[in-house]
Amino acid sequence: MTPELYSSLSLALPELIIAGGALVLLMIGVYSGERANSTVTGLAVAILIGAGAWMLLFGGTGKAFGNVFVSDPFAVFMKVLMLIGSAVTLVMSVGFAKAEKFDKFEYPVLILLSTVGMMLMISANDMITLYLGLELQSLALYVVAAINRDSVRSTEAGLKYFVLGALSSGMLLYGISLVYGYTGHTGFDAIAATLSGADRQLGLVFGLVFVLAGVAFKISAVPFHMWTPDVYEGAPTPVTAFFASAPKMAAMALMVRITMTAFEPIAADWQQIVVFISIASMVLGSFAAIGQKNIKRLMAYSSIGHVGFALVGLAANTETGVRGVAIYMLIYLVMTLGTFAFILAMRRKDGNVEQISDLAGLSTTNPMMATILTILMFSLAGIPPLAGFWAKWYVFLAAINANLYALAIIGVLASVVGAYYYLRIIKIMWFDEPVGGFLPMAGELRLVLGASGAFVLFYVFFGGPVGRVAEAAAKTFF
Amino acid sequence: MLNGLEAAFFYLFAFIAVASAFMVISARNPVHSVLYLILTFFNAAGLFLLTGAEFLAMILLVVYVGAVAVLFLFVVMMLDVDFAELKSGALQYAPIGALVGLILAAELIVVTGGYAFAPQLATAVAKPTPDIATRTNTAALGDILYTDYIFYFQVAGLILLVAMIGAIVLTLRHKEGVKRQSISAQVARTPETGMEIKKVETGKGI
Amino acid sequence: MYQAIVFLPLLGFLIVGLFGTSLGAKASEYITSGFLVIAAILSWVAFFQVGFGESEVFTVPVLRFIDSGSLQADWALRIDTLTVVMLVVVNTVSALVHIYSIGYMHHDPHRPRFFAYLSLFTFAMLMLVTADNLVQMFFGWEGVGLASYLLIGFWYKKPSANAAAIKAFVVNRVGDFGFILGIFGVFVLFGSVSFDAIFATAASYAPVEGAHEATAAVFNFLGYELDRGAALTVICLLLFMGAMGKSAQVPLHTWLPDAMEGPTPVSALIHAATMVTAGVFMLARLSPIFELSHTALTVVTFIGALTAFFAATVGLVQNDIKRVIAYSTCSQLGYMFVALGMGFYSAAIFHLFTHAFFKALLFLGSGSVIHAVSDEQDMRKMGGLRKLIPTTYWMMVIGTLALTGVGIPATIIGTAGFFSKDAIIEGSFVGHNPAAGFAFIALVIAAVFTSFYSWRLIFMTFHGKPRATADVMHHVHESPPVMLVPLFILAVGALFAGVIFHDAFIGEGYSEFWKAALYILPENHILHDFHGVPVWVKLAPFAAMILGFGVAYQFYIRSPETPKYLASQHRGLYAFLLNKWYFDELYDFLFVRPAKRLGTFLWKTGDGAVIDGLGPDGISARVVDVTNRVVKLQTGYLYHYAFVMLIGVAALVTWMMLGSTF
Repeated sequence: MTPELYSSLSLALPELIIAGGALVLLMIGVYSGERANSTVTGLAVAILIGAGAWMLLFGGTGKAFGNVFVSDPFAVFMKVLMLIGSAVTLVMSVGFAKAEKFDKFEYPVLILLSTVGMMLMISANDMITLYLGLELQSLALYVVAAINRDSVRSTEAGLKYFVLGALSSGMLLYGISLVYGYTGHTGFDAIAATLSGADRQLGLVFGLVFVLAGVAFKISAVPFHMWTPDVYEGAPTPVTAFFASAPKMAAMALMVRITMTAFEPIAADWQQIVVFISIASMVLGSFAAIGQKNIKRLMAYSSIGHVGFALVGLAANTETGVRGVAIYMLIYLVMTLGTFAFILAMRRKDGNVEQISDLAGLSTTNPMMATILTILMFSLAGIPPLAGFWAKWYVFLAAINANLYALAIIGVLASVVGAYYYLRIIKIMWFDEPVGGFLPMAGELRLVLGASGAFVLFYVFFGGPVGRVAEAAAKTFF
Repeated sequence: MLNGLEAAFFYLFAFIAVASAFMVISARNPVHSVLYLILTFFNAAGLFLLTGAEFLAMILLVVYVGAVAVLFLFVVMMLDVDFAELKSGALQYAPIGALVGLILAAELIVVTGGYAFAPQLATAVAKPTPDIATRTNTAALGDILYTDYIFYFQVAGLILLVAMIGAIVLTLRHKEGVKRQSISAQVARTPETGMEIKKVETGKGI
Repeated sequence: MYQAIVFLPLLGFLIVGLFGTSLGAKASEYITSGFLVIAAILSWVAFFQVGFGESEVFTVPVLRFIDSGSLQADWALRIDTLTVVMLVVVNTVSALVHIYSIGYMHHDPHRPRFFAYLSLFTFAMLMLVTADNLVQMFFGWEGVGLASYLLIGFWYKKPSANAAAIKAFVVNRVGDFGFILGIFGVFVLFGSVSFDAIFATAASYAPVEGAHEATAAVFNFLGYELDRGAALTVICLLLFMGAMGKSAQVPLHTWLPDAMEGPTPVSALIHAATMVTAGVFMLARLSPIFELSHTALTVVTFIGALTAFFAATVGLVQNDIKRVIAYSTCSQLGYMFVALGMGFYSAAIFHLFTHAFFKALLFLGSGSVIHAVSDEQDMRKMGGLRKLIPTTYWMMVIGTLALTGVGIPATIIGTAGFFSKDAIIEGSFVGHNPAAGFAFIALVIAAVFTSFYSWRLIFMTFHGKPRATADVMHHVHESPPVMLVPLFILAVGALFAGVIFHDAFIGEGYSEFWKAALYILPENHILHDFHGVPVWVKLAPFAAMILGFGVAYQFYIRSPETPKYLASQHRGLYAFLLNKWYFDELYDFLFVRPAKRLGTFLWKTGDGAVIDGLGPDGISARVVDVTNRVVKLQTGYLYHYAFVMLIGVAALVTWMMLGSTF
């Protein structure tokens, strides 16, 4: 017992660091009052970085707590992405918090606890771990969505997210119970072992549908996406940035893990489901975004579309496919963080603005911001040689190799339609009459935006090594 | 498999649980809804009892009926919400909802009816709880809760913590100008700090 | 040194083109002109080193350019006598034009742009003449085309200038199409585009009689199987098509007169001295190929003679001072092509060389006149300017003397044109090709016309009574020194270039001067034969010159009524000439209007209705429809959202169930 517990604890040390850190920060926050926000945020970022560094330097691989928790290269890869997402969004929230009276020390604490939940999701090797991690994550997200409690939009966003999230949790649980009923196990490995020996049972497939529906809600894939635009628009912008980055990484990792381990023997079934939600997400994400006027809402549809593209790689059910998903999520993360750094910097004297029309003529009023956002938009649209192109390239390549031609063709067409609204932003920035510039960017936002732009622009030069790391991560399942 | 009296009670509890759950969402009066919810909890507790999980049955009653549901009841009674109006929009879509629900239900019945559960499930259920004579329910739970399931237990604890923080963040408001009781200050009072003795000269007020 | 010659203009272009507005006009002028003067001086040094030194043909490598399979084209400077002659011509005229422009463009607000274009043009022209292979030559070829387009349309606010620029570009495109097909053909036939490789293999294509490998088909053109000789002819004709476009030969000449819409220094540089001679240079450069195709040379002779005659006739009646000179240029280019067609490459290049001086002189002189009379170009509104602008007058006279070829036959006293033009006329008499006889007659008649219209220009502009308004006459003034000094230098060239260099170019010094730069077949004796023509042939150009002068004097000095009378008597002929043989109208009818009709059809019906309607516009309209519907789904009501989720799950479940049963 003791040696097992010891090795288990050492495998889960990053999670423990963050959970313990969250408790400490909570105490610090409670006892030093309202002014502690920036201190707590700084410490939270330090904790996240520390946990990530520990994981990269000393993190081992293996299974823990009686096979319910797993640490492998794929988990490490996705956790690093997720930690980057959490840390960067926390950093970006500092300026906003000061300006918008949003300086609650609970925010970083909740982000940390949510991060723990997400790490558990990524490392889940059992349905119960999956569910607990998901709930820990979601519950914190419901709260942060509504954290600006004096704003009607924010509370409405939180409430909507909560109710729909509860519905999806119900579905997930129902699916888990069906799967348990048909296999007698909750562990992923045991489920896979049972399934590979048995005939395909329709009841189990139903369970699969419900489980995937529950996870698809978290990655906001169509038709479980409906909450996304409202919540993205209503939540405070740093929260939206967080929603669009870290939880997407975790939920996508979870999606990959349950399909690649637990349900691997019935790949033919889940592939159909993934193809369906992938196509639906790509198409809806592309079409619905066209009509948007609010840039946060636009980013919501953009994220729906991008999730659809990433799922293309998963649908292939191959090593290249999983590698494609990993690379896609990495590039998506960087582009999203950069774009939200920009959105956070859309400040005038009388506060933050969110309308796309506010960007008009930015190229004359603030050329540097406009240039970087243009690069990001081109990348999001998938214009070579920017990173966004390579992301799409890898997933479509996997789909073609797996003979999923229809999926790849629909994906390419959807990306053409999707390019329209990214290009429209560029057009508004460069060719419309200026409506007045923004206040100077805060240093941390400048840093994030610049780094993101540089990554996207120069990805073509270091894409090879990144691809090899992603490949090592993908090898976990093959 | 269940049979005899046990089976009869199982189906009774199960039926009432499902029926009252349906009433929770269909009752017009919100207070009635909460009452039906309590009834559901009771039946669930009954089901627990049937499997020998007495501790869980009691906890369910104490926590859910005694605390949660009653709290709900207070909240519902205190808030003047016109649920009928809220529902009117949703009712418009009731036919579609019913259709979708029917389809789902039909499919599930067809599928679950025609297929066998995993055979090993029977063995998994075969050792639900240790005999009450050898080990009490509470002790048996404790045996595994802090050993095999320590991980889940701690994560569940974190979830509750989040719920607590969330509740405070979203609802607690510090009101200015509220006089609060400070027990330490009260206890620390001495006659010197609490009293001031003044000599009052006759013929003059203070 | 050669790098400096070629790249100084590029440097000037880059500096002034990129930073011109911040540098200011003055600095821009000095930078570009300074670089060009240095390049010109270096060119003369190179000219004497290569032309009169011992060095053989050599190349100066610059960069690797294209290396794709067997297609290799490096960027290198090929230096031989032909190149250095062109370097001298291009850089000298360009430097003088740069300097002249400082005065001429004085009032223009966009001088940095103008000077940047001039330098760009010069660089492109240098690329062309130093090319080591056909691809590089084509690069320069297109570069000068571009610069020409930009400079003709320099005053882009004038619709006529824009139209002229587009016309020049489009007409050149026809020629370039032939040129590039010719390059493809050369690559197919010789397996290389490098001159050295082409010339080395070309010898094996010589029309050796009886060798039966010569009849084997090597080339398929438009479905015809061509043997070696025919293939060579086809290629030569295609290449010549390029030359016709660039050098304004009939029937691709129409752009040149219109190109006079550009500033006058541009006309002097591009449309008289350098770019239009690119075709002549190309044929001379490719002499080892052309020399092998008798048919192609006959065609070249015929086209050249036709152009010389045609342009001279049109020049007789034009009233725009620049157009007269433009037609004169066209005609003189025809002379050069006749020489090329005869295999008399050296004479063609010699005429190119001398022509550059006196034609640039005439153009810059006419620019000076236009400058003096407040931008008036119509000669009917001039007259009597001799007293007012005497320096310009004498410079124009010198140019005219050189153009008409004044000199004393059988001596070495004469202007530049006397040596070069007469050599061509004499060469055409002894030439051995079917078109030679026609060419000789055409050239002599053209010489009469040349003399007539040249003197007509002088008489109408400078003699007689002033026909301009008093106001204009009042403002007439001599040009500033910055414009006159280039005229003096060119005048020196126009007077003495023939005397000094005729021996090297076409006389005794031929082989020491040219070395291996030009190739002529061993049986081609024209170089020797043209000295031995009968006396009447030698006297013919002289007589033609005298005759033309006499008629012009009679018409415009002694009885100015005669031309009007003649014009009214022969109304049809006059209109025919005045309208340039109705070439523009013919092209308009044959090509422009059908093309416009087709274009309109494809635009309105093909593109607008069919492609846009079903394609982009249709699709985007459908996309907007879909978007509106999708956005409507997002109502904001929670139960809608929940419904969507439930319906999604139900659909998936149903699908999985049905999918498994069927």
